[in-house]
Amino acid sequence: MSRQVKSGLQVEVRGVSKAFVGVQALDNVNLTVGAGQIHALLGENGAGKSTLIKILTGVHQPDSGKVLLDGREMAFRTPREAIAAGIGVVHQERNLITRFSVAENITLEDPPTRFGLFDEAAAVAATRKWLDLLHLDTDPRTPVSRLSVAQVQLVEIAKALSLESRFLLLDEPTSSLTPHETGTLFAVLRRLAADGVTIVFVSHKLEEVFELCTHVTVLRDGRNACDSRPLAGMTRADVVRLMIGRDERAFAAPAIGTRSGPPALELRGVATGLGHKDITLQAHAGEILGLYGLVGAGRSELARAIIGAVPITAGEVRIDGKPERIRDVADAVRRLGIGYVSEDRKGDGLILAHDVAANIAATVWHRLGKFLGFVSDRMQNTTAAPFLTSLDIRTPSLAQRVGNLSGGNQQKVSVAKWLAAGSKVLIVDEPTVGIDIRSKAYLHDLILKLARDGAAVIVISSDMPELVMLADRIAVMKGFRLVDTFDNAREYTAASQRIMQAIHG
Amino acid sequence: MNAFRRMLRSDSLGLALVVLLGGAALSIARPEFLTAYNIDVILVGFCLTVIYALGQGVIIAIGHMNLALGATGCLVAVSFGGAMQVWGLPVWAAVIFGLLIGMFCGFVNGWLTHKSGLTSFIITLATMSIFKGISLGITEAQPFYGVAESVKAFGSDRWGPLPETLLVALPIVIGLAVFLGRMIPGRQMLAFGGNPSAAELSGISRARMVILAHTLSGLLAAIAGMMSVARLQLASPAIGDEWLIASFAAPVIGGAVLSGGHLSVLGTCLGVLIVSLINQALVMLAVDPFYVQVLLGALILGAVGLNRLRESRMGNAPVLRLS
Amino acid sequence: MAALNTVQTPSPRPGERDAASAASRRLSGIFGSNLVGLLIAIAVFVLLFGFFANGFLSKVNLYSISRSIGIDGVIGLAMMTVLVTGGLNLGLGAIGVCSAMGVGWALQSLGLPIAVSMIFGVLLGAALGAVNGLIVVTTRLHSFVVTLATMSIFFGTMILLSGANGFNALPRVLTGFGRIRMYGVVSPLLLIMLLVAALLFYLYRYTALGREMLAAGANPFAAKLSGLPVERLFVCCHALCGGIGAIAGVMASLRNGAIVPSMAGPLGADWLLPAFLAPVLGGTLLTGGGVSVSGAVLGCVFVEIITRGLYMLQIGEFWIQTALGLVLLGAILLERGRAAMALQRSIGR
Ligand SMILES: Nc1ncnc2c1ncn2[C@@H]1O[C@H](COP(=O)(O)OP(=O)(O)O)[C@@H](O)[C@H]1O
Ligand SMILES: [Mg+2]
Repeated sequence: MSRQVKSGLQVEVRGVSKAFVGVQALDNVNLTVGAGQIHALLGENGAGKSTLIKILTGVHQPDSGKVLLDGREMAFRTPREAIAAGIGVVHQERNLITRFSVAENITLEDPPTRFGLFDEAAAVAATRKWLDLLHLDTDPRTPVSRLSVAQVQLVEIAKALSLESRFLLLDEPTSSLTPHETGTLFAVLRRLAADGVTIVFVSHKLEEVFELCTHVTVLRDGRNACDSRPLAGMTRADVVRLMIGRDERAFAAPAIGTRSGPPALELRGVATGLGHKDITLQAHAGEILGLYGLVGAGRSELARAIIGAVPITAGEVRIDGKPERIRDVADAVRRLGIGYVSEDRKGDGLILAHDVAANIAATVWHRLGKFLGFVSDRMQNTTAAPFLTSLDIRTPSLAQRVGNLSGGNQQKVSVAKWLAAGSKVLIVDEPTVGIDIRSKAYLHDLILKLARDGAAVIVISSDMPELVMLADRIAVMKGFRLVDTFDNAREYTAASQRIMQAIHG
Repeated sequence: MNAFRRMLRSDSLGLALVVLLGGAALSIARPEFLTAYNIDVILVGFCLTVIYALGQGVIIAIGHMNLALGATGCLVAVSFGGAMQVWGLPVWAAVIFGLLIGMFCGFVNGWLTHKSGLTSFIITLATMSIFKGISLGITEAQPFYGVAESVKAFGSDRWGPLPETLLVALPIVIGLAVFLGRMIPGRQMLAFGGNPSAAELSGISRARMVILAHTLSGLLAAIAGMMSVARLQLASPAIGDEWLIASFAAPVIGGAVLSGGHLSVLGTCLGVLIVSLINQALVMLAVDPFYVQVLLGALILGAVGLNRLRESRMGNAPVLRLS
Repeated sequence: MAALNTVQTPSPRPGERDAASAASRRLSGIFGSNLVGLLIAIAVFVLLFGFFANGFLSKVNLYSISRSIGIDGVIGLAMMTVLVTGGLNLGLGAIGVCSAMGVGWALQSLGLPIAVSMIFGVLLGAALGAVNGLIVVTTRLHSFVVTLATMSIFFGTMILLSGANGFNALPRVLTGFGRIRMYGVVSPLLLIMLLVAALLFYLYRYTALGREMLAAGANPFAAKLSGLPVERLFVCCHALCGGIGAIAGVMASLRNGAIVPSMAGPLGADWLLPAFLAPVLGGTLLTGGGVSVSGAVLGCVFVEIITRGLYMLQIGEFWIQTALGLVLLGAILLERGRAAMALQRSIGR
């Protein structure tokens, strides 16, 4: 690399806590990373990894606890201060200005100037160096809006590298990269570490972690499950146990699927306005169909097509064996009895500012309405109240704002509204992301129970163990197509191999 | 080659064609259109409109809006007039006074918007009423007539065939184009408009950007307000009343996106030209001036619709969001 | 299954539940105090003006206050129905004037009966509002720019059609109605406003339609995924706004005794401030999905009292505009501060 890094930063996190409304995201967390170390930060979704990274980079401020860099206490109030202190970061969410070119994005923190004016030629030259390093063959003048998901992720990484910082944090940087691109990235990271750069690496792919990292910190439910241990000598099973708090095998659940009669939902050669091609799948009543795929494989988008939010351009949809045309979401929900528990619970799953009762009853107001559409609070509460007990939703009252509930209880509310609507086909998108383990187990239980009670449930999940445990059948998506469908014997090794084969083979 | 292709893709080429074709059609239909007088009218109007249109444009660029633009211009205009008539300040001091007031108004808008975290719409609705009320209150709705001769001359004199006000407008247009296209704070402003949280994570200060854009808007409103005084030869508290619609129309016709992140200075100039062309055409074809209003409204709708289409084709628009 | 069943159902962490419920109590306390605060402010200013402004409590003055509350209240309620969507309607004034002109045209040029003309006017307003809604929903543009454009189009078209001539030969019944005084101080226009408010209260509190409108406004994405016809609901909200705007236009004409195109200023923009003042002071959320009908009514009462009181104090009518701007600014900042404080306390810092 151009600039010789003398020595990396030594990073210490001592007893950091951070609460958001309704969630204790971090609870007295410790982390120690030596200079030049590649340190894995692991944990399930919602464990608090991203929150810790955001605290280290000045996005959030801790409620209590200390961050020491090279032994000196640091309290960044803004990302700007963290950048100035020599910290580079790739956040989990994409953070590029899509309208700007690759070069403008990569040089955004420190744009090259000539006579006080932005020097595009210099920016392009500087950018090209970093793109070359990652083997990304893109013209630096291309607007980011024209890049593919993987290219965007690589640009994001190049942007962090270009700061030539002494401390680099990467939050799931490989989520949409191919193994080849990942390999290139790892080579770069190793070279950086050899030069003394300190690296914190977050990934869900444990193979990557064992390949790249030397030390590991595991978070569970916002607390340290382990604090800065050497990876040498640990096995995959050890790490998983730390992450989920028990053995992976405990996940196994018996098959419940019975496939008789026409499927509750059947897609035949379906294509959508978003680019899905030739999707054929069936979901039977009483069965759980798992839908696996990497980020950007088009799973949630398919779900949105099924509930009528995205037009289906070709093929046939059958409900209980009858061909149906899905006109819009209202049609899918009210006439066809399809329900969708959104992946983005807070964004488009729930109405956070409204109370629990209104959220649950939202799907059925039109049915509750009596004369002139009269609906009283009492009628609404009568509809919603049974679910508080049956789903064990922990809330002080039906009048509580949903935004004030914890993640797990919010998720139960978003399931409850479909129970209220009496949906026969339920699509559940990433049901346990950002939820504490106990609620998670409860939701798994609930999904199984829903299927046993006769619903056709489609579970979309990036959590392979979860999917292997829940699903009777697994369908694998890649690039907006279905690449494999198979009966799931709930055997983790076999199933995961078959899935990986389908995706990468 | 590359530059040529980029120009083809840019928003401005189509607009330039519209201006040329419209102008050509009009001069064929009404040969008297190409008289020096008509061109002069269009140019004089252009100089004023382009400044307040850019004043709105820099706010649109960060995804905000400034309803108080006209009221700021008005307050500056009457302060400028008052400073000369009542306090007897020399012109240069009155100009500086006016600029400072405009920048202060803009700063207040920006600071309040940033501090409250509320939409700039409601903040500038409130300040609009405050600024306008002050202007009317101190003048009691009467204009100041004591405008210095040099100011009047500036508004009415010609420099060869060109109005003298162009000497102010042109540097502003060029300066702003350079500022947004090449200077770091300008680039940062556009980055912030394009994706506020991403910009913030890249070390760009939210407070600074919001306040910078609003202060700049206030400054441009101040210049436009004082230019109006020069043109009208008096400081009327009605200055700025008609700015709102055109101030949105021109940047939007020029390709600005209301959600922020993009402002074409050249496009805005062409947008202003299109608006004044329509104005002039309707005058010459002797149609009711209220057609201008109807047309302007339709033009805004057409332009924003078109921009939206282009956005989604470029892949900038959110794909998955419903409704 | 065994493994799943042995996992206990979750119980909230200690303190979590208490913190959440305490937060909600505090929040509801704040929403409550919004109304209480307004009532107190109203009482304080009535006392102040009653004491210092000569003739503030005179029958003539109270009557004129009640008339203004009637008209501006309906204007504010009209804007409130579209604030529900998280959008707004800059062209409310234009729609109000256009509809009133429509009523005048039906009465005078067509010679239709009063009731039919009124219904025609309200339908016209609703139709213009629906046009706004349809454009917003189909183009997905922000209602700000859509209504900015249609305001200009509606108003311009109306002037072109009418030749900028008003209608001043209104039937006696109507001009007389505008001047009725009940108990010497109450204008019937106030009663119309209360009726509109009551209907809106019923709509949002007790009907499926109203609840669906609120849900769609609070989070259109979630509402849509819950099967609510969000697009249709938004068009309804805009149409409702137009219809109520039409009522306000007619009421303003009744006060003036004639229907004139300039009654709401150029492009009807004079209504903008009262339209936002009342609902925003009353606690209606600009982000959509939260309304307070009684808040909007009290907000309007507060504004009229300030306006009238300052007028009686001979502050000069131009400074009143400044004062109202300051009131709006103060109110939104105060509300903001309270919300931020509530949030911070509920986080437990
Ligand atoms: N800005 C925020 N506001 C509220 N809750 C948040 C916010 N960010 C994260 N959380 C919550 O904090 C917890 C930890 O989230 P996160 O750090 O993103 O986990 P991870 O990255 O390990 O998946 C989750 O329950 C999440 O919902
Ligand atoms: Mg994360």
